[in-house]
This record gives sequence, structure tokens and C-alpha cells, in this order.
Amino acid sequence: MQYQRIAVFGGIYNNHLALATAIGDARRRGAEALFCLGDLGGFGPNPNRVYPLLQENGVQVMRGNYDISLAEGLEDCGCGYTDPRDNYFAEISYNYTFQQTSDIHKRWLATLPDALRVQLGRYRLYMCHGSPRQVNEFLWESTTPDCLLEKFCKDYQTDAVLCTHTGIKWHRELPRHRHCINVGVLGRPENTGETHVWYTLLTADPVLQVDFIPVHYDYQALAQEMRQEGLPEEFVETIVSGWWTTCLEILPGKERAHGRW
Amino acid sequence: MQSTPQAPFRHLHALWFQITGTLCNLECVHCFISCSPTNNHLKFLEPDTVYRYLDEAIQLGVREIYFTGGEPFLHKQMLPILDRALQVAPTTVLTNGTLITPTVADALGDLQAESRYSLEIRISLDDVDETRNDAVRGKGAWRRALRAMHVLQDRGILPIVAVTEYLYDATPAAPSPGHAPGEGSGFYQKFRDFLLENGIAKPRLKMIPVFAMGQLHGTVPLASYVTPEMMQGFDTDTLQCTTTRIVADGGVYACPILVGEAGALLSTESLTNALEPCTLYHTACHTCYVTGMTCANY
Repeated sequence: MQYQRIAVFGGIYNNHLALATAIGDARRRGAEALFCLGDLGGFGPNPNRVYPLLQENGVQVMRGNYDISLAEGLEDCGCGYTDPRDNYFAEISYNYTFQQTSDIHKRWLATLPDALRVQLGRYRLYMCHGSPRQVNEFLWESTTPDCLLEKFCKDYQTDAVLCTHTGIKWHRELPRHRHCINVGVLGRPENTGETHVWYTLLTADPVLQVDFIPVHYDYQALAQEMRQEGLPEEFVETIVSGWWTTCLEILPGKERAHGRW
Repeated sequence: MQSTPQAPFRHLHALWFQITGTLCNLECVHCFISCSPTNNHLKFLEPDTVYRYLDEAIQLGVREIYFTGGEPFLHKQMLPILDRALQVAPTTVLTNGTLITPTVADALGDLQAESRYSLEIRISLDDVDETRNDAVRGKGAWRRALRAMHVLQDRGILPIVAVTEYLYDATPAAPSPGHAPGEGSGFYQKFRDFLLENGIAKPRLKMIPVFAMGQLHGTVPLASYVTPEMMQGFDTDTLQCTTTRIVADGGVYACPILVGEAGALLSTESLTNALEPCTLYHTACHTCYVTGMTCANY
């Protein structure tokens, strides 16, 4: 099937409030189809509230590392952190989501694909979670060379690579109308001191138009839920301040310099 | 030997350059390749050699580039080489920091500001205490490493502090009050607190296990090797030699730890020819197998 305009969501991280807002916004902007690049759980509260929103709104979902871990009953989220501080908070987050997610949703995660190929106008899109070759590879703007993106487009026979996983959006155009787009995440703000989150609207017009759409949702209500669920105050602080307080040791130099911590 | 396990090659994630061979202005007591001011065993690399391999790495879709030594900032062409590397990929320099003066930091800050990719400077420090650190790394090393951290931070480069686990037992233990989340021995938190107390606002730490090589050769009573049995069900993706190669005097070697070792030399003239399985023949391979360590930043 070929589309002209689609909306693409990155990691949801249990943020069902932002997801509901984003779905409504994308429909109003004329998105013909909605896609999610995985990581439905982690970080936020009440994971079971995400699944009905995705399923009832026909969002086409693929799996990220978090979803694979939940589906297969693995011991950790498989995010790829190497620092003990990052892993400490990642473990808390995963244990909560694993315990709270119903078995019926874990079984559904096992049915999801690990990548999606979509035709948008004349563009072949390859949707993955981390990178085309590795589900938890971090493609930060400052650490993803053009030569690697050229290789991905060639090896995976695509005009555009779409990814998430890092939590920070970016877009780079390569020669010959090829692109890499990190679509950002709905799950937590992107470390700029602003509380909204992001999704990506793509239009084939006929050249590819990439719009990053801010999602202003009721973050205070999410924070309240997180406290009720006993999630760490460090997580809540990120939601209400817009600054990452955890899982930031993985940030490369340029991105780390922009944050508060 | 047919019974020696091999590690497959997946893709080129990191290309390293041992840019100044085994020449260093320090002589650390734990150096795994015995670098010193007089060790010319492995020679400097010429800039044209680096550029030739960088051009090959572009074709292979390299993800990141590292420079190590010895001490990279002994190389007179280090700054133009870094300029070229940063046009290709994010780049890291492993350094003792002693030669990073404000003038050098100015140049590095400019390179970082002008580049799309991150420039990481990884500075070695082995103790928060000046006397204990300098007993390992040499007199003045601690003070000059801290100076380097500050002059870089002032110019927008957040240093990574690399700690070799020589002075501390890094054996994981049950967490206890005052210890960093996720870390039992306490020395990660000790370094983190030290950096914060000394004005490093965003501490970035990398812990590195000790290898019984070079200066520490023979210090482990019973050498251990990877056996074929150990490879059953083992995820070889955790081994950095599946995605890493290093260019040094003599050619391309399997990994930064085994640089200069004949058994790890994979090609004398081409990076592409070195992208074949390598043999896990050395005691260092056992250390990597057991610890899961990587020489990369993450």
C-alpha cells in the first residue's frame, strides 16, 4: 500500500496520555496511517493503558528492545546501557513494567514484526527501532556518520531509514534524496527543559517533507500517576522539568552538553 | 591451532589508530603495552597512512574512530589528523591529558564546534588521591589530568574519565548505603563525587579492567585462555573484536589490546583484508570474555 502522509511515533514508555494526544493530533493533520517504532513500556506508569489506544486506533506497531524483552520474558530491557547508574534505573523501570503488563499484552508483543517497510509516495521507508542492523543500537545525531547511513540505505535497499531508541529526534538528508529520521519519542521530553514530547509527520509532496510535531499533553496528570505507582522521583522530575535525570550516562558529548545534568 | 576458538567479524563499528605507537611521556606501572618515553617498539603513524585507512573506512560505513598510543598528543600532526577524522565520523582520543594546555584545548574546542560529530577526549586517572595516582602514573600526572578536564570543559568538551581498575577491587558486591546505584565496590561513586567536588559538572566515567600484559606480564599466577567449550551458547557479539580493528605500525590488528602482537596481525596493507574472523588465542581474550569489556566508550 502506498501512502502520501503518515505519522510515526517513537518510544511510548507507558505515556498513554501523550499517545492519546498524538493520535488525535495526527488524525487532524490528515495522516493516512499511524506507525509506532516500538518500546511501548518502560519509565512511565500503567503499561496496560497503552495497548487499547494502539489497537483501537489501528496504529501499525513494530517491536523495540523493550517489547522483545517483555514478550520473551528476558531479565532486562536490553536497552544497551553500559554505565551502572543507567542500568540501575533501567532495572527499576523494567521490573515495574514487566510486573504490571498483562500476559495478553505480552503475547501480543510476540506477534509484532521487528521492522516495517512502507511506501510513501516515491520513497521506500525502512522503519526500525535502534538501527536496521541492531535493535538497540543508538543512532544519535552526533554519532551517526553519513557513510554509515549511506551503507544502511544501500544494504537495506531503502530511501529513508526511520528509527527511535535514543529519545532525541533529528533528521539528515543525504545525496540523491535519501534520508535518516530519528522520529523522537512520546515517552519522555527530549532534555531541553520543555515538557512536551514529539512525533514525526512525513509527507511525500513529492519531495519528502519531514515535520517534527510537538505534543503538549497533561504532564502533571502523568506525574501524579507515576507517584501513585511508586515510580522513582527522578523519573517524575524529568516529566515535570523537561530535563533527563536518569539514563543519561549513555549520551555522547554533544548531546550531554545540551542537557542540565 | 584448530582447537582455538575464533570470533566472527560482523561489521566495522570502530576503527582505532595507534597514532604514536608505544611512545608516551609517562611510564605507568600497569601499562599493558609498556609505553614509555623510550619505547620505540611500535612507531608513529604518518598522516597519509591514517588518511588512506580513513578513506577505506568510509566505504565500509565505519561508526566511530579512536586515537590512542602511547600519548596521541605527542604527534605533531594530531590536530589536522583529528580535523580529517571528524569529517568522517565521531572521534575519540585516549590521552593522559598532560599535554592538553589551554592552547591545545582552544583548538580542540574549535574542532568540536565546527564538526557535526562529537569529539570525545578520554582522560586517564587512576585515583582521586594525587599521591596514589602519581605512584602509578608519574609525578604531576594527576594535577595535569585535572587541568585538562577543566580547560576542556570550559570550551564545551565534556571529558570522559577512564579509570583502570588497578588500585581498587571492582568486584560487584551488594549495594550498601553511600554506594552508587548499581555498583558495589564504591569506587565508581568515589570518582564521581571527586569529579563533582572538583568542578566537573557532568562526570562521565569509564572503568577498565586490568590486563596481565606489558608491565603486568606474569603477575597472574595461572594464565587463562578461552576454550572451545566456553564458546558453546556464548554471544560473540559481546566481544569487541567482532566489530573493531586497529591500525598500528605493521598493519591492522584484531583489537586495541593486542596491538603489535603477531598473533593478532590480520593484514599488512588493507583494512578490508583484515575484516575476517580472528583467533581468541591470548589471555587478554579471556579477560574480555569474562568481563565483557570493550575499549570503546560505551
